Amino acid sequence: MTIRVQLFNTCLGENFYPGVLRDMVAVLERLGVECRMPEGQTCCGQPFYNSGLQQCARPPARHWLRVFGGTDGYIVAPSASCVGFVRRRYEGLFPEGSPEHTAVQEAAARTYEFTEFLTRVLQVTEVGAWFPHRVTYHTSCHLLREFGLRNEPKQLLRGVGGLELVPLTDEETCCGFGGSFSVIFPEVSKQIMEKKIQAIDNSGAEVVVAAETGCLMNIHGGLHKAQAPVRAMHLIQVLAQEDRGQRQGNGGR
Amino acid sequence: MKTSPGKIHFRRNTQNIPARIPGAVQSATKRFLALRDAAVNEYGAEHWQELRQIGHDLRLHTLEHLDTYLEVLEKNVESAGGQVQWARTAEEARNIVREIAQRRNVRRVVKAKSMATEEIGLNKDLQSAGISVLETDLGEFIVQLAGDSPSHITGPALHLRKEDIAELFHARLGVVAPPDAEQLSRIAAARLRHEFLVADMGISGGNFLVADTGTLVLVTNEGNGRMCATLPPVYVAVVGIEKIIPDWQSLAVMLTLLPRNATGQKMTAYISLIGGVNAASTEDGATEFHLVLLDNGRSEILRHRILRETLLCIRCGACLNICPVYNNVGGHVYGWVYSGPIGAILTPQLLGLRKAGELPFASTLCGACNDICPVKIPITEILLCLRQRALESATGAIGSQQTMLRLGAQATALALASSRLYGWGAQALRVIQLPFLRNGWLPRLPPPLNRWTNSRPLPAFRTDFRKWWRHRNHGSSKTWRTRARSIVNKADQAASALRAWYRRRT
Amino acid sequence: MTHRSLAAGSGASFPGAGARDEILFKVRGALSRRNDQLSPPPAWSVPSCPPECPQPGMERLLREIDNLGGITRQVKTRSELRSALVELAIAQGIQRATLWETRELAELRIGETLQGLGIRLVSPHADKSQLAECDLGVTGVDCALPETGTLLLCSSAVRPLSVSLLPRVHLAILGASVLRRDLAQALAEVRGRRAVCITGPSRTADIEMTLAVGVHGPRVLAVWALGTDFTPG
Repeated sequence: MTIRVQLFNTCLGENFYPGVLRDMVAVLERLGVECRMPEGQTCCGQPFYNSGLQQCARPPARHWLRVFGGTDGYIVAPSASCVGFVRRRYEGLFPEGSPEHTAVQEAAARTYEFTEFLTRVLQVTEVGAWFPHRVTYHTSCHLLREFGLRNEPKQLLRGVGGLELVPLTDEETCCGFGGSFSVIFPEVSKQIMEKKIQAIDNSGAEVVVAAETGCLMNIHGGLHKAQAPVRAMHLIQVLAQEDRGQRQGNGGR
Repeated sequence: MKTSPGKIHFRRNTQNIPARIPGAVQSATKRFLALRDAAVNEYGAEHWQELRQIGHDLRLHTLEHLDTYLEVLEKNVESAGGQVQWARTAEEARNIVREIAQRRNVRRVVKAKSMATEEIGLNKDLQSAGISVLETDLGEFIVQLAGDSPSHITGPALHLRKEDIAELFHARLGVVAPPDAEQLSRIAAARLRHEFLVADMGISGGNFLVADTGTLVLVTNEGNGRMCATLPPVYVAVVGIEKIIPDWQSLAVMLTLLPRNATGQKMTAYISLIGGVNAASTEDGATEFHLVLLDNGRSEILRHRILRETLLCIRCGACLNICPVYNNVGGHVYGWVYSGPIGAILTPQLLGLRKAGELPFASTLCGACNDICPVKIPITEILLCLRQRALESATGAIGSQQTMLRLGAQATALALASSRLYGWGAQALRVIQLPFLRNGWLPRLPPPLNRWTNSRPLPAFRTDFRKWWRHRNHGSSKTWRTRARSIVNKADQAASALRAWYRRRT
Repeated sequence: MTHRSLAAGSGASFPGAGARDEILFKVRGALSRRNDQLSPPPAWSVPSCPPECPQPGMERLLREIDNLGGITRQVKTRSELRSALVELAIAQGIQRATLWETRELAELRIGETLQGLGIRLVSPHADKSQLAECDLGVTGVDCALPETGTLLLCSSAVRPLSVSLLPRVHLAILGASVLRRDLAQALAEVRGRRAVCITGPSRTADIEMTLAVGVHGPRVLAVWALGTDFTPG
C-alpha cells in the first residue's frame, strides 16, 4: 500500500522557500510516497501563541483542523516548530469534548516533521542523494529539544553521496531567530545571529544546512549581509540533490 | 541598585551595553559550562537525569505543602534557640533587620552574598541608619567598592577585568596591586579579616532550610559565609520562604545537584550546617541567631500551577550560563537582582508585569535553560504563560501600543483563518514588495519591518509554489480546450454557490 | 505572636494579625488544599556510586583532597606522626596553635608534641581575636567522603568551630573508621547537628574566573590519615 502524505507547507516555507517544498515533494516521491496538498491551508497560528496572544491562535488553528482534519495519510512539514505547535498546543486551545479537540487528537497523531518522518516512520537514512560539498549543520532548537532529533539529521547528511560533514562550533546554540523575538529585540537577535555566522564562517564549510525554515531565513539573510561565501540550504534541499549523470543513465527511479 | 526599580526597559538597556561585556560574560560562562559538563559526565549522564527528576519532585512536594513545612521549620529553629521572624514585604524585612541591629547597638555589619538581601535593598537601608555594611564575598566586595551591581548569580564581578579591579583597589583601598587574580584576592582577604573579627553582626542569605531539624545551610567556597555566621555575636539570615526542603535526605539530593550544576564542583569548599535541633550548645558561634523568612510576593506565585514552579529554583546560575540572550547582553540589562532566564520569569512575578513586562519576551524560547536546570523548572512554559498575562490582560505591560497590537493581531488571525484572504494577501504582498526587491532579496523595508532588515535582508516573497503544484498535477499543456473547460467548471461552481446562498437566505 | 494555625480556605481577607499568620494564610490560600494533612515526602534516594563500583576508600579520599590543593599524608606510626608535625611546623612557620579537646587528639598527644617544639598552645575557647592569631588549628574528623574529598566536622563544647576556621593552617587527622560511602549516609549520622563540610581549602574564582586558593578560611588544609594499625599507646 502506498504511503500518502499531505503536505503541510508552513507559511514561511510556502512564502519564502517554495524551493524547499518542491524538493520535499521530490524526495518523498523518490521514496515512493504519494503527495497531496490541501489547498485551503494557511498558517498554523504559532506566531500568535508564542507572542502571548494565545486567543489569536484559535482561528488559524480551527482553520488548520478544517483543512487537514478530513484528510488521510501523514501530514508532513519542513519545520519542527510548526509541527510541535500542532502536536503540543492545539489541544489546549479548545475545550475538551469540543469537535476541534477531537479533531486535534486525530490529526496531531499523524503530523510529522520531515526528518522525523524519514527516520522514524519511513526508517530511511539514505535517500539516494548526491552532493559533493563540504557541509556543516546548525541544530535547530525545536528539532533538538522538543523532538529529540539530535543525530538523525546528521545521519541523513552522512547518507548523502560525496558530502563531507564538518563540525560547527556551538552547533546547538540558538541562531537568534526566536520568531517574534527577532523583531521585538532586534539588537540582541542580531548579536546572537552574528555569533552563529561567525561560527559558520570559521567551520570551513561551503554550505550550512538547517532543518527549520525560520533558522534558515535568519542564517541565510545573515550570511548574505556579511557577504560570506557560504551558502545556506535547507536539509531537504540537500537531500533532493541528485547526480544528474547517474540519474539519466539509470533512466531515473 | 534600586530596591524596587521603575519600569525595566530591556530593549533600551540592550542598546547601551558596553562593548566588552559580551566577551567578558562569555569567557566566564564558557568555563562554568565546561566544568559542569565534566562533573555531570563523571557522575553519569543517566543518573544525572534521574537525580534532576528527584530534585524537581522533592522541591515541588515541598512547595505544595509549604505552609506545613514552614511551621515545622519555625518550631525546630526556635527549639534550637534561634528566633524566627516573618516578613510579608521587602520593607517589613528591612525593618526587622534594622530593629535587631539597633536593639543590639550594631555599628558594623559583615555580609555574605545573598540575593534575598539585595532583593529587599537591605544594605542601603542599614547604611542610612548609620550602620556600615561590608560585603565580604570577593565578587560582591569588588562590586560594592565599585558602586556597581552584580551581573551574575554565582560570579557577581565577572563583568570586570582584573585590570579594572587592580585600579579599583588602588583608588578605593590605596593599595598598589598587580592585575593578578590571586594577589588581588589576598589583598581583599587581608582587608576583610580584621572586619570579621570586629563586626557586631553578620548577615547572610541561605541556600536551604531543612525543616525537620531547623537547620540553615550555606553553600560557599570562600569561607566568608562561615566567618559571618560564626564570629559576630549576632547573626541574621534572610531567606525566601521557598528555600525549604523537608529533611536531610533531601539535603543530600540538593547538595549533589547544586555545586555540580553551578560551577562543576563535586562539593563547594564549605557547606555550613547552622542551628539544628541536635546542635550541642557551643561556646563559639553567634549567641543570637535570627532567621527572617521572606515572602515579598512568593506566596502569590504559589497560586498558579505552572508559575509556581518558578519557586523551585536553587540559584545555581546554570540557566544564565547557557542562555544565548544572557551571553550576549550580560546581567545588568535585566534591570534588577535576578538576570538570565530565571530573572525573566521571577522578576515580572515579584515586581509585576507593569514594571517588568518586557522580560518574558526577552527569550528566543530555545529551551536550553529547561534542559540545564537541575530541578527541571519548565522555564519556557512559564515564559509563555507570562507573555499571555502581559498581553491579554490590561496590565499595560508593553505600553500604549498594546491595544493596537492586539487589534492588529486579531485582524491578522482572522485573515489567516480564511484561505481566500490568505491567498489574496499573498498576491498583494508579492506586488507591494516590488519597489523594495533587489536580486531576490528585500534588503530594506519600512518600519516596523526594518527591525528585521536592519540586521539582515528578508528573502523575496514568493507565491509560485501553488502554481507549480497545480501545474504539475493538472498537466503541462493548457490547450484552449482545457482552459475553456476549466472556465465553464468555475462558472458552474459559482452559480451553484450563489443558488445555495440564495436558498439559505429565503 | 500567636501560633494559632488557621483553617484552610477560610476565604475572607485577613484582619490585622501578625506577619506570620498572614503569610501562612496566603500560602494556604494559594495552595487551596482540601486538608492540612502533610503527606510525607517519598523516600528519595540519591543514586550514588553504581553498585558494581568498589567502595572508594582512603586512597581515593586523599587523592581528591590533593587535587583540590590540600596536602595529604599517611601516618603509620607514632614516630611518623611526630616527625610529620615537626615538618609541618617548620614548613608552615607555626608559632601558635590551637586544637580540639577531644579524647582522640589527646591520645595522639598532639598538644604535647607541639609544645615540645616550642609552639605556644592557645585554648580553643579563647577569644576569636586570639584564635585568629594562631598559625595552626588541629581537629579530628567525624565523617569523610572519599568520592568528593569531603571532611565533615561537627561542633561541640570540646570542638569549637573556630579551630578549623581562623588559623592559617588547618590540620585534620582521621582514621579509616570515619570513611562513609556517600553524603546521604554521612548526613544521616549527623542529622540536626551543627557542622561544616570541608572540601579542600577555601577558594574563589570571582576575578575573571581565575582560581585563587586560600581566601578567608585557612589557606592550607593538611589532612593526615592514620594507618589502620596505628596504635596511639
